Amino acid sequence: MAVLLLDHRAGSDLLPECDSKLDERAARSTLHAQIAQLDRLLSATFCEAFPDRLELPKLRAGGPRIQSLGELELLRDDLIGSLREARQALLTRELERSASRELLAAMLLDPAEHRRLRISQRELGVGGCGVWSVAPRLGPIGRLMGWWRVKLSSGCPLAT
Amino acid sequence: MGDEIGIEFPGLRADWLSCECTEHRSDQGVGERLAQLASRLKGRQAVELRQQQVPAAYRSFFRLIGVDPDQQPTPIEQAVLGRLLSGGNQPQDRISDGLLLALLETSVPVIAFDAGLVSPPIAIRSAERGERLSGRAVSPGSLLLADTEQPLCQLFQRPEPPLAAGRRSERLLLVAVVVAGVSAIASDEALTIAAAAISGS
Repeated sequence: MAVLLLDHRAGSDLLPECDSKLDERAARSTLHAQIAQLDRLLSATFCEAFPDRLELPKLRAGGPRIQSLGELELLRDDLIGSLREARQALLTRELERSASRELLAAMLLDPAEHRRLRISQRELGVGGCGVWSVAPRLGPIGRLMGWWRVKLSSGCPLAT
Repeated sequence: MGDEIGIEFPGLRADWLSCECTEHRSDQGVGERLAQLASRLKGRQAVELRQQQVPAAYRSFFRLIGVDPDQQPTPIEQAVLGRLLSGGNQPQDRISDGLLLALLETSVPVIAFDAGLVSPPIAIRSAERGERLSGRAVSPGSLLLADTEQPLCQLFQRPEPPLAAGRRSERLLLVAVVVAGVSAIASDEALTIAAAAISGS
């Protein structure tokens, strides 16, 4: 009976420490999963928002190590901030493209009102490097007569 | 692998394979394969690389070990950046070419040690207080590749002489660091490609 009692006491002393270790392990595991998911989301958003932006490394970071719980939380929060910025950039670009598409529609409806205006395919979010522009038919004669039309340049032959 | 690291990073391990290297000059066939791979790589692919499964796994792992992959790119991203900056994959020597070929084909980084100076099994562990690597102190807790006797190099860093395989090495130990999300097949393929390219078989 005495032995059982001692065992019980020893077990109850160890329990809180054991629990806190399990809690920290669970927290670290959750943070790892969150960071991996955020990184995937950030990569996907970055590639969509900046398909042609290739950043060169700036400086060497510290060596590889196991990070503390606090560092993992900071990293998770940083990634959330970066993801928010990338999504904001994506949204801003989409709004700009939408405005450009509306302007192109207006150009096509009434070229004379949008003389000399140029909108590139890139501004419209379309591949290639062609440019939509309002130009006079038959050069100077068209300019004098007010014969305006919208032209799409063929763009660079090397662009894909 | 240290217990602490095994618990912290499930799936992290080092795989290794030994091979012979009797000829150190670049192999023409390997050089041609590197050139073909270089011709397929463009800026767009370099940006989109981070979305592919294996590069994404290394990228996530870099973040977990406190290394920002945008500041210190993962090995595959570094190799692709190097190709874009230099305009091609320039052949160097048989060992470097074999390691680069394996990396570009599989995205799994492989490093080469002089097998005579390294005693497998290879493990990943934290540096202890006062531990030194190539004569320099290593900060405690840094993640290292180590054999049964000594630390070999920091994780994802190139080994330094004399442990690194060089012109006098006839037998090599190729080591691939595999992280969670990278299949055993990818690691085996990387080691096999590197071994075949280096040994000329």
